[in-house]
Amino acid sequence: MDVSIKEEAQIKYSDPNQFYDNKHSTNFIIEVQDLEKSFNGIKAVDGISLKIRKGELFSLLGPNGAGKSTTIRMLTTVLKPSNGNARIKDYSLIKEKDKIKPLIGVCPQENVVFKALTAEDNVEFVGHMHGMDPVDLKKRTNNLLEKMNIAGLKKSAKSFSGGMKRRLNLVMSLVHHPQILFLDEPTAGLDPQARRLVWDFIKELKNTGMTIILTTHDMVEADALSDHIAIMDHGKIIAFGTLEELKKDSKNGNILEFSFSSKKELIHAKNKLERINNIKKITTMENNKLIISFTGGVKTFKQEILHEIESFESLHFREDSLEDIFLKLTGRGLRN
Amino acid sequence: MYSIDVKTWHIAKKNIKEKLKNLGSMFWTVVFPIMMLLVYKLAFSEGDDNTMINGLTAFDVEFPGIVVYTIGMSSVTSAVMFAMSKVDGTLERIDSMPVSRGNVFLGAVISETLFMNLQLILVFGFGYGILGAHFELAMLPFGYLIAMIFGIGAIGLGLIIASFLNSPEGANGIAMLSHMTLMFVSGSFFPLDNAGVFFTPQYWVKQVYLQLTVVGDFFTDLMYSGSIILPTSEASIFPIWSGILIILAFTSTFIFLGVKIFQKKTTL
Repeated sequence: MDVSIKEEAQIKYSDPNQFYDNKHSTNFIIEVQDLEKSFNGIKAVDGISLKIRKGELFSLLGPNGAGKSTTIRMLTTVLKPSNGNARIKDYSLIKEKDKIKPLIGVCPQENVVFKALTAEDNVEFVGHMHGMDPVDLKKRTNNLLEKMNIAGLKKSAKSFSGGMKRRLNLVMSLVHHPQILFLDEPTAGLDPQARRLVWDFIKELKNTGMTIILTTHDMVEADALSDHIAIMDHGKIIAFGTLEELKKDSKNGNILEFSFSSKKELIHAKNKLERINNIKKITTMENNKLIISFTGGVKTFKQEILHEIESFESLHFREDSLEDIFLKLTGRGLRN
Repeated sequence: MYSIDVKTWHIAKKNIKEKLKNLGSMFWTVVFPIMMLLVYKLAFSEGDDNTMINGLTAFDVEFPGIVVYTIGMSSVTSAVMFAMSKVDGTLERIDSMPVSRGNVFLGAVISETLFMNLQLILVFGFGYGILGAHFELAMLPFGYLIAMIFGIGAIGLGLIIASFLNSPEGANGIAMLSHMTLMFVSGSFFPLDNAGVFFTPQYWVKQVYLQLTVVGDFFTDLMYSGSIILPTSEASIFPIWSGILIILAFTSTFIFLGVKIFQKKTTL
């Protein structure tokens, strides 16, 4: 991996407040300052600072153990920070938890439902805890359960499939019209169809002006939904921006994927490629595959490279993806 | 602040729904006491040898023990309920809502108390109504109240157990072990000639209850010179209010410690 770029990223985002101030100036609904959480001396979240604008969909992207869920648990008032503070709609996370709770909805990473109750009972319980009017609550509950295709089920939630519990979890988090919705890995364990349903629903929610904070280790999800993305690793934020900004910052350039039929062909091609000037990096992957990042125009590069390499199975040009950016910044894949 | 009353009632309602759908819990809290009553009735109610005091049979005298067992089961059900809420994340979910832990504890006390009422009605109805256990009707409401106070203490004990255990199965095992041990050590199931009984709330509940509803001494007499029955079946010098004070002390201690320890162990 390119160590210098990783270090550069960490230096750049060690004072993100200044970065955000220069970049966006108004209408922040969440402002996090040096938030830290340690468990038995180990820092799960290591002094992160963030600003999230009202109405945006903000993604915290990172591998398992990066500190995303701990951050969410602190922002949703269930975990007390070891250090630092946050202001949620101008209320202090430390001193004014009671004022923050009515504003937020939380969809935890695990399927947290009351298993002995029906879907309707689960959702209505949350509504009652938020002091909703019983008539409105009934209407809202039916509406949301219908949207998520789990309406009218009389059986208890313990007999639901994982996907149904996940969708119920989501409905429970927003029955009370929260201003800020925290979604911790909302599509984990869902089949593609259910995932698409949830994505469409999240987009619909975003259009209502709700601020959504999403954690995920799925880059396609972050790419499809987010206005801004913060990449977390080892408890720190190592990159922040829109997808375009992250791509620009990572300086990876374009990507070419080469597949070969044998290891011998791959080594032969790699030796030839190393002589080409505008290649920035060559990575050998499994299944006799090479990933090449390069600068300059795709057309010229293609001509040049095809002149050098004649024998290969396939080649595919693509733009730098979020996964490439993450790999470059952290030195490991999101699921490692 | 939040509207405590309405939210507390909704928490209690949710707890009762969960409880009624737990068949294992229903067996131990409702069916098992009735089975015990039948066993006691068949074993101890016939023949001259079974007459213990004032013409009362062993069944009449042991009936309060079944009441103590039934109500004491709240320590098991509440331990399981709170341990479950820790493990399955529902406690954390509730913590993220505009609800205080006070609502949660009060909701649990209300649901357990309502359930205890249901249990008592069943046990009383079956024991007095069908099996014909002897009782003094005038003293029954007071005996009922004593059972309730003990039940609230049992919830406190359940909270203490749930604080230290991270699985509902573990909580169920430990709470059941402590409840059954206390039932035997206190002499609530069978009279036990040992001074250790004085250190168990079950003993005092059984004896106060026995005095009020079975032996049927006048309440005013009991206030001055009670005759709480010792393990050796002799009358003690304790007036009845000393037993009531001891029960209140046990209940207050268990509830206070339960809430404090649970809060300490689960506040992150």
